[in-house]
Amino acid sequence: MTSVAMTSVARTLRGAAPFVVLLAAWAIVTRAGFVSPLFLPPPSDVLRVAWEQALDGSLWINLAASLGRVLLGIVVSVPLAVALGVVVGLNRRLAPVVEPIVGFFNALSGIAWLPLAITWFGLGWASVTFIMFNTIFFLVFFNTLVGVRTVPRIFEQAVRTMGGSRRHVILQVLIPGAMPSIVTGLRLAIGFGWRALIAAEMIATSTGLGFLIYNAANFHQSDTILVGIITIGLLWLLTDRLLLQPLERRTIERWGLVSNAP
Amino acid sequence: MLGGGAAVWAAAAALLPLPDYYLPPPTAVLAAFVELVAKGILPAYVGESLRRILLAAVFGLVVGVPIGVLLGMSRRVADFFYPILNFFQSVSGVAWLPLMLVWFGFGERTILIAVNYTVLFPVIFNALLGVRSVPPLYVNALRTLGAGRWRIVTDVVVPGALPSIATGLRLGLAYGWRALIAAEMLVGAHGLGFMIFNAQNFHLTARIMLGMAIIGALWLLLDYFLLRPIEEATIARWGLVQR
Repeated sequence: MTSVAMTSVARTLRGAAPFVVLLAAWAIVTRAGFVSPLFLPPPSDVLRVAWEQALDGSLWINLAASLGRVLLGIVVSVPLAVALGVVVGLNRRLAPVVEPIVGFFNALSGIAWLPLAITWFGLGWASVTFIMFNTIFFLVFFNTLVGVRTVPRIFEQAVRTMGGSRRHVILQVLIPGAMPSIVTGLRLAIGFGWRALIAAEMIATSTGLGFLIYNAANFHQSDTILVGIITIGLLWLLTDRLLLQPLERRTIERWGLVSNAP
Repeated sequence: MLGGGAAVWAAAAALLPLPDYYLPPPTAVLAAFVELVAKGILPAYVGESLRRILLAAVFGLVVGVPIGVLLGMSRRVADFFYPILNFFQSVSGVAWLPLMLVWFGFGERTILIAVNYTVLFPVIFNALLGVRSVPPLYVNALRTLGAGRWRIVTDVVVPGALPSIATGLRLGLAYGWRALIAAEMLVGAHGLGFMIFNAQNFHLTARIMLGMAIIGALWLLLDYFLLRPIEEATIARWGLVQR
């Protein structure tokens, strides 16, 4: 085993250590009978319920429903938001007018759209997609706009001086220059979108992880709720590790705007 | 621009063959505002929501920041807590809400715990990150000059971590504000979230739009008067300290 592989194994083990401690504390507290299993079931019960739901497929259906909605939200909103952000950002007269309006819709992002969504689209996927669109679109739009506007003009002028066309300026100066801001926007959008989705699923749908845990609360099934919560947390960690961190490594960290702490 | 938007909205509401509850005209939203203020409902709900979020802000500042700074002081402790804090900050308070409902029932306590939880973890997490990103060089410099541990905390660690602490507060409260709206919808104990959710049941769309406008405006005010000054006082002053 190489030393690089060893440090990565050691790091994984160290990362797992606090979870092991937490699990042990949870097991001890519940097994010793300090709390009723109705309120906090022991880890083994939660694992058993997770296993049952994995076998009968319901866990996967709910997981796929939630993930699918997030992905649909991203696919529908992000390309449009980036394109519009660049176009508006290019226009020096339009941008200062549009920015505060988009800022307002940013402030409104998330679950506050739910009642209006239900009024317009009824309960179901259309409402959820509408909420996700409003949450993701405006955050990415805003950050693209700000990113494009903060690219120093001297870079643009340099490319122009060397005979670059408007297309060159957009593709090789403005978009790369705005990338750190766009990726920051994407991280915020997925963070806010994911949270909004969980809340929306509780009210507006009959599938998904949000529905799973809210429905379980009606039947006082604390074990099912905990399965849902842990799945939600793990999914975020995976999204962070597999999607956002690699993106940031290629943009923000490369540009030296973020420190790698701790 | 705003006037233009309102004009387009008014025209759309008047011309489109849609029922009034689908797209009420701007005047209806204004009328709802006047009505709810006159009845005293709107001031009461705004006060309720603001009280809850400000409570969470104070809690995050007084409890979250010291915990984060303390955990960040030691590299070993910080490394240990980092993944678990990351996990808890990623699970929003709304996801815990069902469990809180089982534990505490439908009421004020459930809302407050869910919102405070949502604010707390990003604050702790970012305070820890901030402390870790203070270059050890500065700490060593003060130590060489004979400073005690307390002096190092007040003069190097906390000022150095402030930009990250401000970011954490802002993010935590942004998440907390939304968690509050969602919790008020689901738990239904007054507040702006309850107002717009309840209005939906009665097809009072003007009331929904009014509530949304107020939710957005309140956040902007909170951001402008509470969070941005903190951020500017720190990031502008110390932003370049990190590296």
